[in-house]
Amino acid sequence: MVANSMQVSQAYMNALNSVGGGAAKPQSMVETGADQGGFGDMVSDTVNQIVRAGQDADEKVVQQAVGKVDVVDVVTAVAETELAVQTLVSVRDRVISAYQDILRMPI
Amino acid sequence: MDVMKAIMVAATGLRAQSSRMRVISENIANAHSTGVTPGGDPFQRKISTFRKEFDDELNANVVVAGRILKDQSAFELKYDPSHPAANAEGYIKLSNVNELIEMADMREAQRSYEANLNVITSSRTMISKTIDILKG
Repeated sequence: MVANSMQVSQAYMNALNSVGGGAAKPQSMVETGADQGGFGDMVSDTVNQIVRAGQDADEKVVQQAVGKVDVVDVVTAVAETELAVQTLVSVRDRVISAYQDILRMPI
Repeated sequence: MDVMKAIMVAATGLRAQSSRMRVISENIANAHSTGVTPGGDPFQRKISTFRKEFDDELNANVVVAGRILKDQSAFELKYDPSHPAANAEGYIKLSNVNELIEMADMREAQRSYEANLNVITSSRTMISKTIDILKG
């Protein structure tokens, strides 16, 4: 979980590279996606991780309610999840806006 | 991510200060606890200790609450022959808790807790602002 935003930005770089590679060889875009795990895989991986972090945070909240876990653990778990979600949402927004820029490109 | 680790380390500080606060509250609550048998010992002041511990997962030094020690200073004697805990000479032993010292310790624990909270707040702000660059 700690490496989440780093992984996201790394995957974003990979996605950018695959798009860059695609410009030189138009046919290779899909292949790159299939071989190395494209943007879709990266997003689903990250979403899975965030869902797991969210479940962990949920569990901590429940355990705190029954008095098993310190409130500090709840705060750190929720903060981790929140930051991971923020990172994912920002990256998604950014990639979608890049995609829309390409769609709007006058040919 | 180092900033996230900073939050985790600060969280151990929060836990340590919470445990210290618990010990202080025990001391304050029992400041007037005396013995129950003739000549029996009253509540003995407790002292919390901290030690550093290397956390392999975080790769950083975290703080953990160490053993809780007992204050070995002498008990004050008070002449009160009617008290059930009075010894043969009519003296009872009073707890060696000094409420002024406990108040000062409590304030120190509170300030340390706040310092760790500030570390968490600042780290969160740092991460959030970094993510905000993407939104620009």
